[in-house]
This record gives sequence, structure tokens and C-alpha cells, in this order.
Amino acid sequence: MNGIIGFLEYFKMLMPQVMDGLLVTLQIFGLTLILSIPLGVIIALGRLSKLKVLNVITGAYILIMRGTPLLLQIVFIFFGLPLIGVTLDRLPAALFAFTLNYGAYFAEIFRAGIRSIDIGQYEGAGVLGLSPRDTFFRIIFPQALKRVLPPVGNEVVTLIKDTALVYILGLDELLKIGKIATNRDATLLPLVIIAIVYLALTYVLSEIMTRFEKKYDYYK
Amino acid sequence: MKTLIKKALTLALASLLALGLTACGGQDTSSKSTLDKDTWIVGLDDSFAPMGFKDENGEIVGFDVDLAKALGEKLEKEITFQPINWDMKESELKSGNIDFIWNGYTITDERKEQVSFSKPYLNNKQVIVTLADSAIKTKADLKGKKVGAQSESSAVSAMEKETDLYQSFDGGKAITFEDNNQALMDLEAGRLDAVVADEILLRYYITLKGAEKYAVLDENFGDEEYGVGMRKDDQKMVDAFNKAYDEMKADGTLKEISEKWFNEDITN
Repeated sequence: MNGIIGFLEYFKMLMPQVMDGLLVTLQIFGLTLILSIPLGVIIALGRLSKLKVLNVITGAYILIMRGTPLLLQIVFIFFGLPLIGVTLDRLPAALFAFTLNYGAYFAEIFRAGIRSIDIGQYEGAGVLGLSPRDTFFRIIFPQALKRVLPPVGNEVVTLIKDTALVYILGLDELLKIGKIATNRDATLLPLVIIAIVYLALTYVLSEIMTRFEKKYDYYK
Repeated sequence: MKTLIKKALTLALASLLALGLTACGGQDTSSKSTLDKDTWIVGLDDSFAPMGFKDENGEIVGFDVDLAKALGEKLEKEITFQPINWDMKESELKSGNIDFIWNGYTITDERKEQVSFSKPYLNNKQVIVTLADSAIKTKADLKGKKVGAQSESSAVSAMEKETDLYQSFDGGKAITFEDNNQALMDLEAGRLDAVVADEILLRYYITLKGAEKYAVLDENFGDEEYGVGMRKDDQKMVDAFNKAYDEMKADGTLKEISEKWFNEDITN
């Protein structure tokens, strides 16, 4: 392999496979986000509820999901659940594990966000005659959402890299494609290419998050 | 607020259940013989060159892959290939996600308790490789040295059998890697003194990386055989497999595939 031209040629050869891997990675990434953010909001509400039983259940859920490695959760869901009669395919199993896991992290972020809103906001809404439902969805939650954008961005970037864990189910995501090519061609070059792709993805996501933050940065 | 939370939670529970139950109903393979199925799923680690791996075009190719295709053609079964993680291979087979473990799968006593093996189809050795200028010339020289191998591989089992030698390695055991390529890279970087691996695999890498850089010792960690793993106690499938294998051996199919990948007929 001689220099830049060799690298570019290798890059070109590897590209179709990288695209296949990227598709798997983005599938898991996108669907996990869509499913886990609403789940996180619901769990956060459970944590903040005045009902003791809800506090305990959601508290235990968060403890288990954050307290055990995501890799183990994937293994349990794919290989363990069939023992009790629930058989999931590879991708749904991965998605299920990722959603449950990230839901727990998002829940704590949203809980912090909701908690950070001043009690005066509730009182003011009450004086104006807003129902508890309107108070939450129109006054409290939109403000909380703005405040939690930076930590959510953090999780989003972590998620894109965590998707590599699905290798344990034999799914050929981005990193696995790199490893296959490394094993086949006995060179580290594919991993360099994969690193560049991850970096580009993270850059785009960070930019999007920054735009969001700027857009919702009013009332300051 | 309370009713809202209650509603939200009911919704959450319902959606969780729905998510959990969709895509249920996988095939029940526990009682039936694989032979009765029309489609066979071959499980393989698709980074395991030259037995089964993805080529430049993203196609799964390899010696074992060609063999599986030839068998499928002979027995009129459709063959699909499912990439799996090598650490999970027996779990994948038991849960029915795959029907065969077919990827340079060494026959060992421990594995025999979990799967049924076909007759051995390839002879293999666990060889010791060092850098060309290494002072290590015999197995005894490995004492106090750093020795690498692939994790969960039969190389590790083979070394463990020679307990005294194994425990005399630096650190009291082998250093294990996810794949053989990583072990060889570590050897090249000078952090390992030797790597123990399948001869067939090693030859592939040594040719790729430059044969002059390495030395393979005359002594090794024993002969062993590759077999195809099938579900435990599925004797019907094993018998049909072995019969078809013998026929393919006789009619020259195996010779042809072996020569394509190894330039010579190394099948049993």
C-alpha cells in the first residue's frame, strides 16, 4: 500500500460495506432515541409521583438498568428471554435492550430538569386557573426540556458509540465491519476509516444539538 | 396530576408489553430434527478468515462456506448464513437461532457435552509462532514468556491440558484476544513472545503479513480435528450429514473446494 493513493483506493473498496454497517448503526441509534426518550419522560414522572409504589418501581427499574452493563442486558434479552418463551429477533432484541437502558438514563435527566423548575411557576399557573395537566405540559415541561438539552446531547453522542455493543448478537454494525476487514486484510486501516465515520457522525449530531440549544435559548 | 401520571403509566406499561411481545413466536426447533427443515441456518463468525468471512464485496465466503453450500445443494436444502459472536456459538445453537456451528469448529470433549459433532473433516494442529529472530526454539523455552491466543479458542484448551507448562507462562496463563489477528499484531509489536493458534488460520495470516517475519516451531500443542456442530442428540441429522460428506469426498467435491482455498486437498 503506497501512501495516500493506496489509502483512498482501500477506502473506496471498503465504502459499500461501511455503508451497510452504517445503516445498522443508524437504525439502532434512531429507533432507540425515538423509543427511549418518551419512555424516559414516563419513568421520570413515576419517580416524581406522590404515589409511593410508583417511586419504588421506577427507582428499582433505574437501579437495575443503570447498575448492570448494557452488554449483559442485551445477552439476557436475546438469550435469556427465550427460556421463558419470549423469542425476539436480533434487531428487536437489541432495540429492546437499548430502549430500556437509555430510558433509565433519560428518566434521570428529565427528572432533574423538571425538578429544577421553580415552585413559583406551579403557584403562578394555579393562580391563573390552569389545570394540573396544562400546568405540566404547557408551563413546566417545555422549560424543563430546554434545560436538559445539554445532558441529552451527551447521551445522544454516547448512544451512537454504544451501538457497537450489538456485535454480541452477530449484527454487522460499523465497528464489526471494521473488525471483519481488519481480520481479512491483516491491516489496521479499516479501523482508521471507521473512526473517521464515527467522528463525522458525532460532529453532525453535536451540531444539531447546538442548533437546538440556540433555537430554544429564549427568555434569558 | 395523579390521574395524568396513572394514565401515562398505563400507557407506558402497555407499550412495553407490546414491544416485548411483538416479534415473538420464533420457530420451535427443540424437538424436531434439523433434517426435516427446508432451510438450514449456518452460524459462523464472519471475521474468521479463511474458513468463513466477508470478502471485499461484503459477501460471506470461505472454505467452510463453500462446503456448506455444496452440502445444501446435495441434500436439496436452502442454506443461509447467520453471523454470530464466537463466544455465544453454543447458546445460539441451543436456542435454535442457528442449525449448525460450521466455522473451523474444533472437536473437544467439553464441546461434545453441549453439541453433537459430525465426523472430523479437517486435521489441524495448534502451532506455536514467534517472530523470526526469537530465541524461543522449543516448547520448554516458553517458560516465563508471554504467550497469546484467541479467547474461547481451542488453542487455550490445548495449552491448559499441559498444566505445568501453561502455569509457567508469564502471568500464569495465556493472554487472550478477541481474534488471532490481534494476537499476531501484539506479537509484532514485541509485547508477546509467542502466539498459539490453529495452523490453518495461522498460515493464512502469515502469508498475508509476510512469511519471512515469523517462525513456526517444530513442536506444537497437539493435533486436533475440525467438525461441524449440530444440536445435541439430533442423531438423524448427524447420520445424514456424515453420509452426504462421504459421498462428496468420493465424487471429488471436497477436493475441488480444498484446492480452491488451500491449494491442496487437506480434507479427511
